[in-house]
Amino acid sequence: MNYFDRFAIPNPSPAIYAAMVAIGLTVIAIVVGLTYFKKWGYIWREWLTTVDHKRIGIMYLVSALLMLFRGGVDALMMRAQTAIPDNALLDAQHYNEVFTTHGVVMIIFMAMPFIYALMNFVVPLQIGARDVAFPRLNALSFWLFFMGAMLLNISFVVGGSPDAGWTSYFPLAGNDFSQSVGTNYYMLSIQIAGIGTLISGINFITTILKMRAPGMKLMKMPMFTWTAFITNAIVVFAFPVLTVTLLMGTMDRLFGANFFTTTNGGMDMLWANLFWIWGHPEVYILILPAFGIYSEIISTFSRRNLYGYKSMVASIVIISFLSFLVWTHHFFTMGQGPLTNSIFAITTMAIAVPTGIKIFNWLFTMWKGKIKFTVPMLYAVGFIPIFTIGGVTGVMLGMASADYQYHNTMFLVAHFHYTIIPGVVFAMLAGLTYWWPKMFGFKLSERIGKWAFWFIAIGFNVTFFPMFFTGLNGQARRMYTYSEASGFGPLNLLSFGGALVLAAGFALIVYNVYYSTRYASRNIGSDPWDARTLEWATHSPVPSYNFATSPKVDSIEAFWDHKKNDYPLFKGEVEEIHMPNNSGIPFIMSCIFFVWGFSFVFSMWIPAIITTIAIFVLMAYRSFEKDDGHHISVKEIEETENKLRGGNK
Amino acid sequence: MKTDHSLPLEYSTEQNQLNILGFWIFIGAEIMLFATLFATYFTLANRTGTGPAGSEIFEITPVLIETFLLLTSSFTIGLAVHAMRIGKKNAMLTFFVITLLLGLGFLGVEIYEFTHYVHIGAGLQTSAFTAVLLTTLGTHGAHVTLGLFWGLFIILQVKKRGLTPGTANKAFIFSLYWHFLDIVWIFIFSFVYLKGMM
Amino acid sequence: MSELFPRKQVMSFVFSLILTGVALTVYFLDMSFAIGMTILLITAFVQASVQLAVFMHAGETKDKGSIYLNIYYAFAIAIVTVLGTLLIMIWDM
Repeated sequence: MNYFDRFAIPNPSPAIYAAMVAIGLTVIAIVVGLTYFKKWGYIWREWLTTVDHKRIGIMYLVSALLMLFRGGVDALMMRAQTAIPDNALLDAQHYNEVFTTHGVVMIIFMAMPFIYALMNFVVPLQIGARDVAFPRLNALSFWLFFMGAMLLNISFVVGGSPDAGWTSYFPLAGNDFSQSVGTNYYMLSIQIAGIGTLISGINFITTILKMRAPGMKLMKMPMFTWTAFITNAIVVFAFPVLTVTLLMGTMDRLFGANFFTTTNGGMDMLWANLFWIWGHPEVYILILPAFGIYSEIISTFSRRNLYGYKSMVASIVIISFLSFLVWTHHFFTMGQGPLTNSIFAITTMAIAVPTGIKIFNWLFTMWKGKIKFTVPMLYAVGFIPIFTIGGVTGVMLGMASADYQYHNTMFLVAHFHYTIIPGVVFAMLAGLTYWWPKMFGFKLSERIGKWAFWFIAIGFNVTFFPMFFTGLNGQARRMYTYSEASGFGPLNLLSFGGALVLAAGFALIVYNVYYSTRYASRNIGSDPWDARTLEWATHSPVPSYNFATSPKVDSIEAFWDHKKNDYPLFKGEVEEIHMPNNSGIPFIMSCIFFVWGFSFVFSMWIPAIITTIAIFVLMAYRSFEKDDGHHISVKEIEETENKLRGGNK
Repeated sequence: MKTDHSLPLEYSTEQNQLNILGFWIFIGAEIMLFATLFATYFTLANRTGTGPAGSEIFEITPVLIETFLLLTSSFTIGLAVHAMRIGKKNAMLTFFVITLLLGLGFLGVEIYEFTHYVHIGAGLQTSAFTAVLLTTLGTHGAHVTLGLFWGLFIILQVKKRGLTPGTANKAFIFSLYWHFLDIVWIFIFSFVYLKGMM
Repeated sequence: MSELFPRKQVMSFVFSLILTGVALTVYFLDMSFAIGMTILLITAFVQASVQLAVFMHAGETKDKGSIYLNIYYAFAIAIVTVLGTLLIMIWDM
């Protein structure tokens, strides 16, 4: 084989060539644009080297939105392919690649950065901290995630995309059945992003445990911070499982080890087992922050404090533990005995109890509240019935014996989209709209936002509800086409129509960002929603040090008390503030990780060794480096405060 | 940076306390990392394919040497932290050097063990059992190797900068890491080797 | 010199050597698998606790609660993972 042949695409098609051209043009446009506007220095100083949690949050946000559209295009391609029977838009191989990257991109590179975007931006503000515990590691987390995402995305045009499903089950994902480098990309890109996520997990737990404002006991934390805390606890204990599993998968593929092969004692089913030991907690990593966001939004727009705070906290703590006890329900049909299936069916149903408690708490919060149907509130209210459909079908799937009927059908696909879209996507859009004014100093247009909500809510249901029926009628998931005689045609066409409406909804959100950036009023004050938690107690946009003086808290809703009952939130004098310095190391190190991953994907050992050494050299450099941060003087703080107050009348 | 003199040096600043707690949480993650390896090991331990079983390739002597070296090094790093707390910089450095030498000895025996396995036909590709055995031992060994470099850097920094809140903090966190590696080894010793030879 | 060797740590070291010796009996003596595993489980977990409490100073600061909760939680999930995997892949397959 010619050396460069390995980089060629194994199954080229016009779409891929178009993507190559598009990627090339985008890169050229970015480079030319930055050079023309002389923004290289700005980008480097203000973004690439930043350790500010707010900026990192915004970078997560931008990446997540980009990936949302990348994954969304995959989804549209799938729906278009299955819209009519015997369609030939995509061939089988291409369809496999599309549903694989759709899953990976949406879960790992869209949902995860989206929740970390909001956690990064909001959590330190909600607890009255200056930054996270380890600001530089935070930057490293982001850049590792970003480089992992980029690594997966170039697979499309260099060497071929993964095609064994987002779960990458062996033996399909092994060398015998997945001969292109696609699955190597899967292993390495998720590995790199996963390390970043693990670091974030440690960072946020430490931050929330140790850096809360004086007086904010654990049971006085806002609900979003509570869910962020528990989510990160799950991250810390679940992601190492993924690390090891991917490591073993990589060793099978690159070094001929026999963990998951079907010869020499290898056990292919072990992959499924280990994957879901991580994979199920991952589901709760995605859903818990959403629960936190909804709690904040429902309480704010019902003008009431959250009903059942303690039971909310108890239920998320219980969920965090139960989430580690249910993983077998993803493979009830694999062949283990009825005893195992029964145990895991029971734990699966048990998890519906704490979730149900939360649903009732939200309903009781709204009960007799003065509800204001803003865009975030629409998403929150829309979430409850849609998510309940997802939950009820989840209980159906959780019955082990019944699962033999549903397993691997479109019914399952409908179920998890019914949980994950209202549970994650709605929540993220709600959170985005809700915290947008705090991030950028202006509100997104409510009018366009409401249109977008209705397009998305209706489009979503039209897309996915038919799948319950085609699934029960026997349409298997991941099949690139079906015959006309099967009768799946009309409902699939309806799905495709729904997907177009859904896409139009997202296009409206993009338009909303453009429209509001141009026309929205900047004169909205620091608390445009009349909200209840600490992040609204500082200016919008937030100054780099967050709070001029640390807030003192002695109730769950200290900011609300401050507004309504004149509780003195900021008692102290302004003092000099210590802040961390920017650093280029996280960015440089992550770039090296990118090359490292790329070298492993193509088994190029010399660059792999060089980059491995380079990573350790950077770690050593960090060990010897002396970096005590810098101080912002009282004078500077007062000037900033005066300026912000002036603009915020 | 504010320094609180009522606490030992390694805890004396806010950032130091954050570092130590953060490292403990990292250890929680490491427990899960090794738990996954153990779960895999137990599942695959009897799946030897055409390769040898554990009882055929394990030898008690190198394992005992490794165990003794690592246990002792865990003791000496504890003494190093104690010496640091009573302000004896030279004693602390001596214990640090002893610890790293013991770790180096451990690593030497482990490398011997690995080449021996490969030599008698128990390589990475031989069977599921050998793959998970070498991966589990290798992951622990890689941690020890990383620790040797890390420890060396800390020695250099303490020599150059003296016992400051910064260096004391690093030394203490290193001791946590090193003790943790000893705990992992105890589990490997018990449930890989002794169980395999029982 | 003796101030460099605190009694507690020296005793703990001796204790962990003894525990290692006890564990070794499963190799040198003839015993059933169940008894052997019981001995190994006890010695390994006791040994780990000694390291945590004495050498790692897990309980010396006001973060003691967080640290122990973190470790217990990790161990609980680790045990669930190992036993669950064995149940699925071996005992009930």
